[in-house]
This record gives sequence, C-alpha cells and structure tokens, in this order.
Amino acid sequence: MADHDHKPAPMVDEVSDFEILELAVRELAIEKGLFSAEDHRVWTEYVHTLGPLPAARLVAKAWLDPEYKKLCEEDGVEASKAVGIDWVMTPPTHFGTPSDYCNLRVLVDTPKLKHVVVCTLCSCYPRPILGQSPEWYRTPNYRRRLVRWPRQVLSEFGMQLPEDVEVRVADSNQKTRYIVMPVRPEGTEGWTEDQLAEIVTRDCLIGVALPKPGITSNAKRPVLKAKNPVHHDH
Amino acid sequence: MSSSTREEVLRHLQTVGQLQPALHKQTHAPAPTEITHTLYRAYTRSAHDVGGEYDVPIEWHEKEEEVWELNTFATCECLAWRGVWTAEERRRRQNVDVGQTIYLGLPYYGRWLMTAALILIDKQYVTLTELHDKIEEVRKRYEQS
Amino acid sequence: MSRVEHDRTHHAKIATGVGDPQCFKGKAGKAKFKVGDRVRVKDRPDIFYTRTMTYVRGAVGTIVRAVYESPPAEDEAWDNTDNVVWFYSIVFSQRDLWPEYHEVYGGDTLETEIPEMYLEKA
Repeated sequence: MADHDHKPAPMVDEVSDFEILELAVRELAIEKGLFSAEDHRVWTEYVHTLGPLPAARLVAKAWLDPEYKKLCEEDGVEASKAVGIDWVMTPPTHFGTPSDYCNLRVLVDTPKLKHVVVCTLCSCYPRPILGQSPEWYRTPNYRRRLVRWPRQVLSEFGMQLPEDVEVRVADSNQKTRYIVMPVRPEGTEGWTEDQLAEIVTRDCLIGVALPKPGITSNAKRPVLKAKNPVHHDH
Repeated sequence: MSSSTREEVLRHLQTVGQLQPALHKQTHAPAPTEITHTLYRAYTRSAHDVGGEYDVPIEWHEKEEEVWELNTFATCECLAWRGVWTAEERRRRQNVDVGQTIYLGLPYYGRWLMTAALILIDKQYVTLTELHDKIEEVRKRYEQS
Repeated sequence: MSRVEHDRTHHAKIATGVGDPQCFKGKAGKAKFKVGDRVRVKDRPDIFYTRTMTYVRGAVGTIVRAVYESPPAEDEAWDNTDNVVWFYSIVFSQRDLWPEYHEVYGGDTLETEIPEMYLEKA
C-alpha cells in the first residue's frame, strides 16, 4: 500500500480480524508441517474450477438420452463422469473432497413431483459438481423454514405449484449430496445439449426455480459486496 | 494500555450485554430442581438443528466471496486431506461446539475459521501462546505494509 | 507433552481411489430393513452431537433406499470409525411431521437419511 504522510495513517480496520486469523492459521499449519503451501495452492486452484456447469450439462444430457437419465437416477457418481466430474479422483486428495463425500443423488422431477434441496444441519452442498453454495442457502432462515413451509418458501422464490404436484424436500443431513433434475420445459423441442444446458441454472439445480426458454441466469437478488472479493474463473 | 483498548473493552461489555440469551428465562446457574426435562433439552440442544424452527420471511441475498473465505475453505479441506481431522469432526466443532451465540453470530466461513484455529490447539500441534503470538505478528505485518 | 498420537494417514489409506462412504462398503453386516419398510425414528439421547434432526424423531416414514454403509456421524465426529452401520433414505409425509401442514397439500413429502440405530419397525 502506498500511503503518504498527508493521508490518514493506515487503519487496522482496513484488514479484518478474519483476514488476520486466516493468515495466522494457514501459516502455522504450514510451519508445523500439517499440510504444505503447495497443498493449499492446489486446493485453491481446484476450487476455482468449480461451478454449476457440469450439473447443468448432466441434466441436459439426461433430457436427451433416456438411458443416461436412468443412470443418473441410479448412480449419480457414475453419471457425473460423463460431464467430467469424477467425485473420487478429480479432487486433489484422490479420495473425494473431505466435506462433500462421494455420494451424489440426482432427484428426478416429474410433472407430478417437484424436489427442492436444503441442509438443515449445516449447508451441505454438492460443490464438486455445483460450486460454492449461495448465501441464502446457508441462512438459518432458509434451513429453518424450507422443511416445514416449503410452498411458502418456494413462492418467495417465485414458484407457485398446484395442489396435485407433490413437493418433496430433500434434507441433505448425512453424506449424500443432491441435485435436482427438473422437467424439460416446453418450447425446447429440437434444442441441442448446449442450448438446453444454458437454461439449467444453479437455482434450478437446487430446486427453487424451474427452467424456462430464454432464462439463462438466476433470479436477480441483492448482492452483499465483499471487501476483497474472489474472482472465480466463471 | 492505550485508551483505545479501554474503549474497545467498554464497547465489548456493552455489546455482549445486548446479545440475546438462548432462552428468555433466568439463566444465572439455577438450582438443579429448576431444570425440567424440557429446559434440559433446550439448553443442551445442538445449535445446528434448526429445521422447523419458526422464522419470518426475509429477503434472499447473493454474496460475493471474500478471499479469506476461500482460503479458509482450502485450509479446512487441506487439514482433512492430510488427516488432522475428519469433515464430521469439523462439522461438529464448527456447528455445535461453538455454541449458539457464535453459531448465529458469525459468518458461515467465520465459523470454519475459528474451528480451524482451535483444532491446531486442541490436537496440540500449536500452543495457544504460539497462536496469539502469530496473530500479533500478522497484525503488525499488515500495519507496516 | 501429552499429545495423543494418531495416524494422520488412516483415512487416506482406506479411501484413496475408492471414496467415502464407498470405503466402508461391506462393513456393516446385513441390513436390518429393506425398501418399503415402515419405520419409526427413535428419540435417542441427543447431547453433544447428532445428525438425526429433532423434527423427524418419533415420526413414521417409509424406507426408499438403503444408501450406504458408514460410521454414524456421532462417532465420526470424534474421528472414530470402528462401528459401521447402514444408512437409509426415508420418505415422510409432511402431514406426519407438522401438525399444521394443510391437507390440501397432503401429498407433500420430505426425504432424509437416518442410520439404522435410530430406526425401529413401525
């Protein structure tokens, strides 16, 4: 930092307690040989590659290929390989990411069944195929209410479902991670896999939104700004 | 001690006085007979078990990720990768052991970070004095840069 | 110095190239329940840690899948993997979980995973 005398002295406030503690912990762990600086760098790079695109592609493929759709339903980990995600071998550990385990289930919607995912106990989320979880997914509010008042919460996300559609909440409480495969929407006849994947947004994959032709991003919401933000690859 | 430390101490005492107790009941170490099964269960509940609790609608937000949050996540996963803890041990420590006040009061990755710091001490890889010294050292480094 | 010695490679040894929970496959013995069984969630003590949420305790649901074998979270939370058990995915009717859930939406359900020791035949 290039602060000059005529400016106010650098305030300790400029660096947060979290930033200080983070650096302290990381340096101590490396100094004590618990992991290496290279381990940390490799892991951070791995995280930079993560996002919702593989999951979107998985859904698009399944919409086009009934055999693949069956595989998704039966064995999400095996099905993930077709979109470049090996739950066991892709993470630098070669035994999966410690916090996400290796047991993906793909929850397949039908015209009479709508799935939506929550983790009431923390915020478990299928990072290897979906990236980092959104802030709202982590709030105690979403976790408190979704399991008990799912239709009200879904309506706040803009989804009103008829009475004869079964809403099934999946509470991701143990080692399984979930993504939702929504029903392929009308108006997408003849579309390619690429076109279809574009409308399968992160919110569709959590289950709080439905795919629609022309809609390729999550609903607009206020963004809490970071002081020192991460810039991911995508 | 500088006066700014005293100011911080007094501000701290005021802030903790405003923290909500877990139960809006008398909480000054009551006699055993005052703790019914219902209260025992409420006090000993795991803070993470929030499913079905009453709450009102809020505005849903997205959030930019801080660099320290990503670094914290990587540190925690590296600690598990290299066998210092299991992910379940981390979840228990960061979602339950921290207690309800920190659980609801700190950011999501703030809890991961507190927990990563504590595991180094609990498993005796680092003494608390070493951690305190390191925090001081890092703070000074930032101030001088 | 009284540091507890522990083998930091023990998890990597069993899980590398295999994954978790796959590394515990075949270690839980015979599954006590099968798909379609109606089961009640026991209200076991919950001090210190559990991943069986309070809101499912005492409720009856249907087993839809035996998902994997794993040490219970309650043990793994202290890095103990000695006792491996079956985990089941269970579907509950929302009306069986929440007294106020409206009958108009009586078809709504909730699915979650519960280890065998928390289950009894309903």
